[in-house]
Amino acid sequence: MCNPTQFYFEHLNKGELWLQYCPECQRYIFYPRSHCPGCWSQHWEWHRSQGKGRIYSYSVIRVSSLGGDGEVPYIYALITLDEGVRMASRIVDCGLQEAAVDMPVEMTLQTFGGQMMPVFRPVCSRPG
Amino acid sequence: MKRKYAMITGISELAPIKDPAGQKTLALLAEAARLAIADAGLHNTQIDGLLVTPPSEDSAFMWPAQVCEYLQIRPSLLNMVELGGASAVGAVSRAALLVKAGLVKNCLCLSGGVWDSQVFNTLQGKKSVMSQAEIDFELPYQPLGFNTGYALIAHRHMHLYGTTPEQMAKVAVDQRKSALLNPLALFNQAPLTVDQVLQSPLITDPLHLLEIVRPCSGAAAVVVSNERGASLHDSVSILGWGEAFSHNSIVYAEEITTSPVKESAHRAFGMAGCEPADIDLLSLYDCYPITVLITLEDAGFCAKGEGGIFVTQHDLSYQGDRPCNTHGGQLSMGQASFAGGMSHVIEAVRQLRGEAGERQVARNHLAFVNGNGGVMSTESSLILGRTEYV
Repeated sequence: MCNPTQFYFEHLNKGELWLQYCPECQRYIFYPRSHCPGCWSQHWEWHRSQGKGRIYSYSVIRVSSLGGDGEVPYIYALITLDEGVRMASRIVDCGLQEAAVDMPVEMTLQTFGGQMMPVFRPVCSRPG
Repeated sequence: MKRKYAMITGISELAPIKDPAGQKTLALLAEAARLAIADAGLHNTQIDGLLVTPPSEDSAFMWPAQVCEYLQIRPSLLNMVELGGASAVGAVSRAALLVKAGLVKNCLCLSGGVWDSQVFNTLQGKKSVMSQAEIDFELPYQPLGFNTGYALIAHRHMHLYGTTPEQMAKVAVDQRKSALLNPLALFNQAPLTVDQVLQSPLITDPLHLLEIVRPCSGAAAVVVSNERGASLHDSVSILGWGEAFSHNSIVYAEEITTSPVKESAHRAFGMAGCEPADIDLLSLYDCYPITVLITLEDAGFCAKGEGGIFVTQHDLSYQGDRPCNTHGGQLSMGQASFAGGMSHVIEAVRQLRGEAGERQVARNHLAFVNGNGGVMSTESSLILGRTEYV
């Protein structure tokens, strides 16, 4: 059986966000894991996510956690995806004062330490 | 007449230490143990139970055995209690259970250790307090550890309930007033104002530097016994306790502004046969002011969402109408490894005994103590009473 964490990260590197879904519980699962946390079965499926959601809460981080990489400030946030799961991420393409709880956002990708990770931007800033 | 499950016969607390150089965890624990059994009027051979919180830097492998070997005690039950910041209250609750069951007569609850910020501010140090899921799915985005977890809670609480930065700052200010009379507190030199808190640097919005707890080294101990024995102090009884859990990482909490205190406090009050209105003294885990606000709400001291209003309408200092964290809380006392959570138990016992000196509260029959682990993940609530009044 493919390691769910590995599957998740490999697909992110292709630019795709996939989430586990349990047909028995009719719920999405995040973070990736071996067993559905609802019914403890392993009969889950992978579904591709559109990467749309809303800001659940956020914090502007003003001090670098590991010291002096010059990256601060940035917006760290919890996102509730339309699929109902919540994930930690960052808000990009957004002024520090603009971020707000419940703001609609959509996924884009950014590389952290060589791994593509989902980050989110305000829906209104979508080009075209 | 309330049911008394066990008694707290001995307490001790070392002054928190900023500079970890030369400190050893086992030495700190041994000194706390020595002082606590002296306070209880016991000899070390009478300790037949040991519950210890985890070390922050030493190897945790067989930690209870390491501690018992160092202290040369041979308890009939030894265990480590790892509930993060709720470990200390969790240990005292478990000790009461063991004593009530007749398995142990005098249980030593030990908490503390060496905390070196140089170690914990490294990537490896950060990983040492994270689950693999947090390392994989959160760490790459660089949250500022626990600070950011609580900042997320505070922001959402502000959004849902209109809580203000001024209201949160008031908790640190009132607690500082009491800390000025606590010789053990790290920050007991000067009073604090709401303006000073709000003018200190924003670290992870909306948290300012002066509303973030200061980790340090230290140790504290409590002896839980089946009878008063040779103790010369006014007796303090354990009347009820409760525990609850909802998540490990705050990312996966159902609603981050509501904590498991709702269940843990409800269970504790149910066991003790009393309610929030009966409580004279609050001793609430305070890594940040938002923790105090949410604990007040979820334990039933005010309505949900009104924690901010509650703390501005009441004076939380030792002189106030709602004394809370009269030792200064961890915000003024310092967060001495896992002993930070024990400081709330110790202060409640001091106040119930009538031994809090200049910061003694006027009415001291019943205390509500809360321990909080992780980012409002695991909660342990405790109700203590002055034995002669309950």
